[in-house]
Amino acid sequence: MHVTTLSLRDFRNYQRLDLQLSPGITLLYGPNAAGKTSVLEALYYLATTRSPRITADRELVRWEAEGEAGVTPFARVAAEVQRLAGRVRLEVIVQRRADEDGQLTNTSTRIVRIEKRPARALDLVGQLRVVLFTPADLTLVDGPPAERRRYLDITLSQIDPHYVRTLAHYQKLVQQRNSLLRSWRERRRPPRAVDDELAYWDQELSAAGGYVLAERLRAVAELNQIAGPLFCAISGGETPLTVTYQPSLELGGLADSGGLAARIGQALRATRREELARGQTLIGPHRDDLAFTVGTVNLGRYGSRGQQRSVTLALKLGEAALMRQRSGDTPVLLLDDLLSELDAERRAHMLEVIQRPGQQTLLTATDLADFSPEFLAASTRLRVEGGRVYPS
Amino acid sequence: MTSRSDNNLIVEPVARLIEEFGKLPGIGPKTASRLTFFLLRAEEEQSRALAEAIQAMREQVTLCTRCFNITVGEICPVCASPTRDQTKICVVEEPLDVLAIERTGAYRGLYHVLHGHIAPLEGTYREDLKIDELLARVRGEPVDEVILATNPNTEGEATAFLLLKDLAPLGVRVTRLSRGLPTGGDLEWADPDTLGSALEGRREL
Repeated sequence: MHVTTLSLRDFRNYQRLDLQLSPGITLLYGPNAAGKTSVLEALYYLATTRSPRITADRELVRWEAEGEAGVTPFARVAAEVQRLAGRVRLEVIVQRRADEDGQLTNTSTRIVRIEKRPARALDLVGQLRVVLFTPADLTLVDGPPAERRRYLDITLSQIDPHYVRTLAHYQKLVQQRNSLLRSWRERRRPPRAVDDELAYWDQELSAAGGYVLAERLRAVAELNQIAGPLFCAISGGETPLTVTYQPSLELGGLADSGGLAARIGQALRATRREELARGQTLIGPHRDDLAFTVGTVNLGRYGSRGQQRSVTLALKLGEAALMRQRSGDTPVLLLDDLLSELDAERRAHMLEVIQRPGQQTLLTATDLADFSPEFLAASTRLRVEGGRVYPS
Repeated sequence: MTSRSDNNLIVEPVARLIEEFGKLPGIGPKTASRLTFFLLRAEEEQSRALAEAIQAMREQVTLCTRCFNITVGEICPVCASPTRDQTKICVVEEPLDVLAIERTGAYRGLYHVLHGHIAPLEGTYREDLKIDELLARVRGEPVDEVILATNPNTEGEATAFLLLKDLAPLGVRVTRLSRGLPTGGDLEWADPDTLGSALEGRREL
């Protein structure tokens, strides 16, 4: 798939941007803080309804953006995407909220439209599929487990609409269940009829958790087929990378969502006493992790910086390949200041992928000198400066 | 218009009313002072009527001792009516839900208002709802069906689930409102969750 037009209004440092994009390589270059990354961020936001770099949506609204009479400042991101399944128009408006005296607050509201029809944010996920590469991706290997779960979740959410919904439901259930457990642990309530009160939450948590777990296991199996050999090619070694799903409960060899749901249910009953003592849900997909090994070496703990870089690249390229394999449509690649980070070998692999026909890639760079004349000739160059984009 | 700094310029009774208005939901300092100065200039009768209405509401409105809907007096009109079907109880979360169901004109039974739903995150647990009161009614009254009309969201479902567990041993028929498509809707634009549950709850024609 590829994005044909992107239009921004009061988004980050862009007052207004209307960009026609080609299906191939687009190179955004210019000084730091010019707005290169914001273009990638806008596309990532449309694809996942999240920004990779901030937590509060209101920060997306351009600082100097002015509201009109009775309308508070808002940012608008809209794009037209050409997919195998046809063309689709996506739009998100993030509007800052004001209190009744007209003072802007720190909150914002979000309006999502698909084909000009109002939609829920969850419905937007998966309409446009992207894979983002940034120098910060290294935390995927040596960062906390949450980073690795996020990697799987963002990949699966873009492929499977049912996954996004189930995951959102699951996360809400965990919070409710934790509050219930805490009310007993902190002795705010007598622990009477504990099993009865937990029954609903256990049942729902098991059902949703079973699905999330089954889909993650399936994705990891597919990733091993793809990223394993890719790692050899990138690192120039012989031994492939093995990605292992590390569940927080014994799975007993089960892989189907029904069986896993029953397994989670059993495990919840078995950890009841400990959960009551700790006041939180101790098992389930929200406590799981991934391990990366080559031969017998765990790279998260013992890998060299170079090996960790190779793993990250193999995982990200694997994510793109997985999306293509499942849907038949190639995701859009967003490379944030990445090529300058890679050594010649890894760079060659990245270039090979982004130069494939039908692959849309947007990449940012500060210096054109990093690129060969052939590469520059094959890409559309856009100079970005002070929140404006100039063709070059 | 007032701000915190000029509050000491305003005489105490006026400042006090502004403060009280400001405690109401959706009313900030500006609206609170606007309301106050409106009343200050309006006919005295208007202020008296407002004060009396608020006081009467507080003094007279109670919860029906049977179904816990808001009412005046001991028993609400629905519970007192001899023409209502005494064998059915429709369980709802809030008094406003009773109005919604009454508006359909399709229900002639009794109600039971829980005053909330199970939501540990918001600090609402089983004992905060009128659940034991409902069980007592089912044991003591000639009820043969309990209709669970809690909201079709996670909290409403959790509440219904817990009620079902409590009601099952009492040998009463327990039903749940069906979930489905809105009248005059369009299948193409129905959200997948609603369409999914409408399919699950389909019925023979």
